[in-house]
Amino acid sequence: MANYIIKRLLQVIPTLLGITLITFLIIQLAPGNPATLKLQMAGQGEMGESAIAQQIIQQTKELYGLDKPLIVQYLLWVKRVFTLDFGNSFKDHRPVLAKIAERLPITIQLNVISIVLVYLIAIPFGVYSATHADTFSDRALTLFFFFLYSLPSFWVAVLLIMFFGGGDFLDVFPVYGISSIGADSWPFFRWLTDRLWHLILPVTCLTYGGLAYLSRLTRAEMLEVIREDYIRTARAKGLSERVVIFKHALRNALLPIITLLAFLLPAMFGGSVIIESIFSIPGMGQLGFESVLSRDYPVIMAITTISALLTLVGLLISDILYATLDPRIKLE
Amino acid sequence: MHDSLRPQRILPLAATALLILLLSSCSDSRNATAFNKDWLITHLSAEPATLNPITSTDAYASNINDYIYESLLKRDEKTMELVPVLADSWDISADHLTYTFHLKKDIRWQDGHPFTANDILFSFERIRDPKVDSAHLRNYYQDIDRLEVIDDHTVRYHYRIPYFRALEFCGGIPIVAAHLFSETEDFNQSPIGRSPLGTGPFRFLKWDTGKEIVLVRNEQYWGEKPKLERVVFKVITDSTVALQVLKKGGLDLMSLRPIQWVKQTGSERFHKNFRKIKYYLPTYSYVGWNLRRPMFSDRRVRQAMTMLVNRESILKELLFGLGTIVTGNFYINSPAYNRYIQPYPYDPEGAVALLKAAGWEDHDGDGVLDKDGAPFSFEFLISAGSKFAEQLATIMQENLKQVGIQMGIRKLEWAVFIQNIQQHQFDACTLAWSLSWESDPFQLWHSSQAEKGSNFVGFKNAEADAIIETARKEFDAAKRNVLFHRFHEIIHEEQPYTFLFTTEALVAVARRFQNVQVYPMGLAPREWWATEQQSE
Repeated sequence: MANYIIKRLLQVIPTLLGITLITFLIIQLAPGNPATLKLQMAGQGEMGESAIAQQIIQQTKELYGLDKPLIVQYLLWVKRVFTLDFGNSFKDHRPVLAKIAERLPITIQLNVISIVLVYLIAIPFGVYSATHADTFSDRALTLFFFFLYSLPSFWVAVLLIMFFGGGDFLDVFPVYGISSIGADSWPFFRWLTDRLWHLILPVTCLTYGGLAYLSRLTRAEMLEVIREDYIRTARAKGLSERVVIFKHALRNALLPIITLLAFLLPAMFGGSVIIESIFSIPGMGQLGFESVLSRDYPVIMAITTISALLTLVGLLISDILYATLDPRIKLE
Repeated sequence: MHDSLRPQRILPLAATALLILLLSSCSDSRNATAFNKDWLITHLSAEPATLNPITSTDAYASNINDYIYESLLKRDEKTMELVPVLADSWDISADHLTYTFHLKKDIRWQDGHPFTANDILFSFERIRDPKVDSAHLRNYYQDIDRLEVIDDHTVRYHYRIPYFRALEFCGGIPIVAAHLFSETEDFNQSPIGRSPLGTGPFRFLKWDTGKEIVLVRNEQYWGEKPKLERVVFKVITDSTVALQVLKKGGLDLMSLRPIQWVKQTGSERFHKNFRKIKYYLPTYSYVGWNLRRPMFSDRRVRQAMTMLVNRESILKELLFGLGTIVTGNFYINSPAYNRYIQPYPYDPEGAVALLKAAGWEDHDGDGVLDKDGAPFSFEFLISAGSKFAEQLATIMQENLKQVGIQMGIRKLEWAVFIQNIQQHQFDACTLAWSLSWESDPFQLWHSSQAEKGSNFVGFKNAEADAIIETARKEFDAAKRNVLFHRFHEIIHEEQPYTFLFTTEALVAVARRFQNVQVYPMGLAPREWWATEQQSE
């Protein structure tokens, strides 16, 4: 087991290098250039006098380190990253890690809450669907979840805001931001309720779409397990239905769902551009989106590298969990 | 089978728990929105990158920095003349090459340090320092040979060439406090980017990333103190949400989109609490024709294209009539704009005749105009994210098809769009320029700027060049305007652009604010004051 983990950890390094190299090349070779963009951002939208503008663009490239050959730039980047320095953003010259650190907590809050909610709601309903397979309630439930799944989140978000945010109907929820003004100086409990109050609408939007997939998956796994011999044996033994379903069937059915955990780690890190923009939440989604639009290479690289790393680690963790939970699987 | 009911038992429980939470915090959020009447809460649709006035490039930053920083002079809101701010007076040499500014004494930075000539020198050097990320500004200070500090309260700029906008540029230089910087520090990363410090009527209080930026009145301000106590810039990224927040009383001032102006702000209740103001700002939108393409190198074709765009109907349908059709490159409300020029009418028949005269006819009977065997077919480049451009393109495509011109539409992301235009990889495109009060046609229209500069359509005209060169050295505004009127005629005749519209800026302001004046360059909230909240 220990050997296996070490081996897998070592494999992470070349994979990560490969991912970052490809990302680096893609973003650098994509059309659009941060130095020229900067000059065009200039006050009056004018691009400047030609000869001088070219010289200034050159200076800006040097300032950003974009004048060196691509491979040199990449190696310099790798060298810095080994010391955990992701460089400074082109946009405001602040350290990239500081910018991420500023936005990560809120993104994690949103994601943790909505992922936990998805699991808490979808799995029980999945079990229910399986035990009532092909009945009316099973079909109705499935239909309902797929209905939710097909609603675009930006539309739901705007509707929620109009109906619950003091438009022409109810005024119960705040419609932007993640806390009230001055909340930072409030006592903890008051701060917490205020924060949750703000999170309800965005979390709703992030949650409802995920229910269909997970409940269908749980249902399918449960149905498969229920047909197994050991379930029949358990029933034959005279165990109560409750014990059969929750102790013998569900435990086994949940195994594949654990693999999904692998994708949760990077999912925690990434934000939703749409929901963040509608609710004015300064999260990772906005940061990533803006950095791509403004060709802020250091920020794009940092976000990609960190989520790639989290994906790899997530995969490893789920493999280990799998082996721990299911003695039939061996990691060698 | 009863156990499977469990989830349904849990859910109502969870829901009740949430509800309790909600109800308990309900009152809190109400109290928090109660604010002082002397606070102006205004809307930001995105956050500035930095508030360092030398490295910042976005309009959000300059809007905020206007409250904090001052320069030697400014353009007076009412008279549009240049008036002294941090300078007491200035002398201009007869040859218009040296500009000497005498600074006001006793001016202090908001931390109490005296303001001196050294601050100006430091700021000037930073703008010209290649290690400083100020490409956009450096461009404007290229013609200055050097800046001389004569004494603590006198500076002199030496220009290489005479230029009519020199006074505005050198007197309007962004000035930062030199004493806040050490030599070893990277200027780009300086803390003033996140906590600016100026000499102006408001001082910086705090910046919560992605939430708000707060300024408070500078009680030690040297000039007339503003009556507003605070100016709060709230970041609300979605304009629908912002309007709702405004209606709830969470914002005092925001820009409206045309659809919001026409359809969503008409209720009596809205009218009671807010006043809607519209005014012109110096911008214009246009369709640019790439004059390097054979079909668009002919002036008659360009005129015909303009006559094929139904600008009146587009203005009415897409922009709800909130703007005006323009005929040239100057700001429509400035004296440089030639009001005698009438826009080309929407006239498909006249356009067809012009095209025929230029040799474009449907010779082979396939329904598409052609000349020398080549069909009249081109691509219209638009930037993704501009809904207006998209609608405009569709309408144009339809109109052109009727006279036998094939127009394809290509939508590109902004960074790629700009790159294509700069490399002249386009047939036609649509964009908008924003201008200053006095504008210099040089960058956009001089033939020397056609290869790598902003004259990306490749406009070259000897008379226009001569006018531009003369006007740059003409210091008499009236004489300059005569030149510009002629220039405007040439541009109208040549139609390198199909000039579209100057749209109106639309804003909503809470009624409790008084002295809300509309000036030629917009609103000046720093002179507002508030009365007691209007009763509903």
